[in-house]
Amino acid sequence: MLAIKLAFKNLMGAGLRTWLNVIVLSLAFVLIIFYNGLMDGWNRQARNDTQDWEIGNGQFWHPDYDKFDPYTIEESNEVISDEIQTLIEEDKVTPLLIRQITIYPQGRLMSARLKGVDPNQEIIKLPSADIRNSQNKYAAIIGEGMANATKLKVGDQVLMRWRDKNGTFDAHEIEIVSIFNCNVPQVENGTIYMDIEVVQEMANLHNQATMLVTSRDYENTKLEGWEFKDLNFLLAEFDKIIESKKGGGMVLQSILLLLALLAVFDTQVLSIFRRQKEIGTYMALGLTRTRIVGIFTVEGAAHSILAAIVGAIYGIPLFIYLSKVGIYYGNIAKASGLTIAETLYPYYSVGLIITSIIIVVVSATIVSYLPARKISKMSPTQALKGKIQ
Amino acid sequence: MEIIRIEGMTKRFPVGNGEFTALKNVDLSIAEGEFVGLVGPSGSGKTTLLNIIGSLDTPSDGTATVINQDVSSLSHKQSALLRNIHLGFIFQTYNLLPVYTVYENVEFALLLQNMSATARKKAVMDALDWVGLTDKIKSKPAMLSGGESQRVAIARAMVKKPKIVLADEPTANLDSENSHHILQTMLKLNKELKTTFVFATHDEKVMKYLRRKISLADGKVIADELMQTEKSKQY
Repeated sequence: MLAIKLAFKNLMGAGLRTWLNVIVLSLAFVLIIFYNGLMDGWNRQARNDTQDWEIGNGQFWHPDYDKFDPYTIEESNEVISDEIQTLIEEDKVTPLLIRQITIYPQGRLMSARLKGVDPNQEIIKLPSADIRNSQNKYAAIIGEGMANATKLKVGDQVLMRWRDKNGTFDAHEIEIVSIFNCNVPQVENGTIYMDIEVVQEMANLHNQATMLVTSRDYENTKLEGWEFKDLNFLLAEFDKIIESKKGGGMVLQSILLLLALLAVFDTQVLSIFRRQKEIGTYMALGLTRTRIVGIFTVEGAAHSILAAIVGAIYGIPLFIYLSKVGIYYGNIAKASGLTIAETLYPYYSVGLIITSIIIVVVSATIVSYLPARKISKMSPTQALKGKIQ
Repeated sequence: MEIIRIEGMTKRFPVGNGEFTALKNVDLSIAEGEFVGLVGPSGSGKTTLLNIIGSLDTPSDGTATVINQDVSSLSHKQSALLRNIHLGFIFQTYNLLPVYTVYENVEFALLLQNMSATARKKAVMDALDWVGLTDKIKSKPAMLSGGESQRVAIARAMVKKPKIVLADEPTANLDSENSHHILQTMLKLNKELKTTFVFATHDEKVMKYLRRKISLADGKVIADELMQTEKSKQY
């Protein structure tokens, strides 16, 4: 208690020097929380969007299906059983039939994926009802990313070629009936969506599907003949991206924190050098060396407490504002090829704030303690004379 | 009753590759309640002797027993405790803590002792009353004159009612009038509280007040005499 009281008195007494350190340290605080909040916001938003648009609460895959191996697609189909049919009718799962196709927009050849989707499904956000509302049997919907890549517009017709289950090629004009906007690139890019029944007929795979997407409230992970892929598996790539982004950010944050800590360290060294007489006086008054080291360590560490308070004064309004208004990324978001919304809303969790405070306070305490250790070796008489170099 | 006993004490300091002997085979005894001065020119060893008595330093040879404790055998913690409970220090440059008020500077000595806030407040106000500074309790050291600063230092040394007060050139930075006030105050406290005062000084003004003068030269005690000056007889 005495150490804390003394530390704050000395800090306040040091005036501008204290406040310069505090401001630099508070910047480190705010930046660390801001950046990690941005990453957490992105993570939450991207996970949410991916679940909404693509994976629901997990997917059941045909055991042979490998999304990185196009050759597995041809054989990765399973008959939709009565049990699954019941689940489809109860809106618990929705089937997708995936085929490899070729389209010829503006005379160019382009490989793509055709996904047969139930036009009546409401499990994923895909506007599949647009297919149902069209009179054209070969109605298709695509995302903005695909539309930009193929220069296709609503109402355009494009030739599509595919192979049925026996390997026989066939082709037909399809009509783009709707273009949707979505933040999840893998939903948009290189993919065309059509009525699953039409795709089944085209591929001669009646009542078959490649995967089943579960609804958000569906929790069963076992279905005969299907392999369940949970969110951890399906979002693993995204998690790695966030991890690497956070890692990259950490370098920047560490540099800033290091600079701030260097200022605290420097202040401590200077303070101990300049206040030798004071240290000697403490000794003469009966303070043990350990206690004096404690006072100086607390004094240095108190910079971080003040920094947290100062950071809170300007950081909290800033964070509240940003979490309401968001940060607009615009076209950069689409161009990045990552699951990222045009406007990112940072998310500041209690855990993030507490972790950041602990990191800064612990590091400030360590850098304050290191120079303060010198006190424990000081001779009281030399300290009183102020002659220690 | 003997409160300080020095026997065959030598203190050497390393200087470059050799050694400097600051005190040579000193023998000394000071009784409780004495008002004694260690006098001598610069380099005679008086501050070194004062530091050893104050357990801020230890002898190289011989023994220094202060309040029945051999300072050579005390751990850092034990010597800190000795200083905290039984010893008060007054320095030439006052050594007040600049960020604290007069009240807090005096109170500081008591914060280390388990004393209630009420008792602490009374002790601080009493100490400031002794030195006539009750009207300056909220002032910071920077706002005080040299004389006032030294009176705060005296109050700080006296607030815990120590058995011994060690004063190193307490009047060196003060004019005659302030020196006189400071010494009058010390004599008064010595009389009223029976506190033993040991000065290190070469100031003639101080010598007029001493009841015993121990003269040092080149680290040796060359004279030890009782004084009968007008000033010292006042109390």
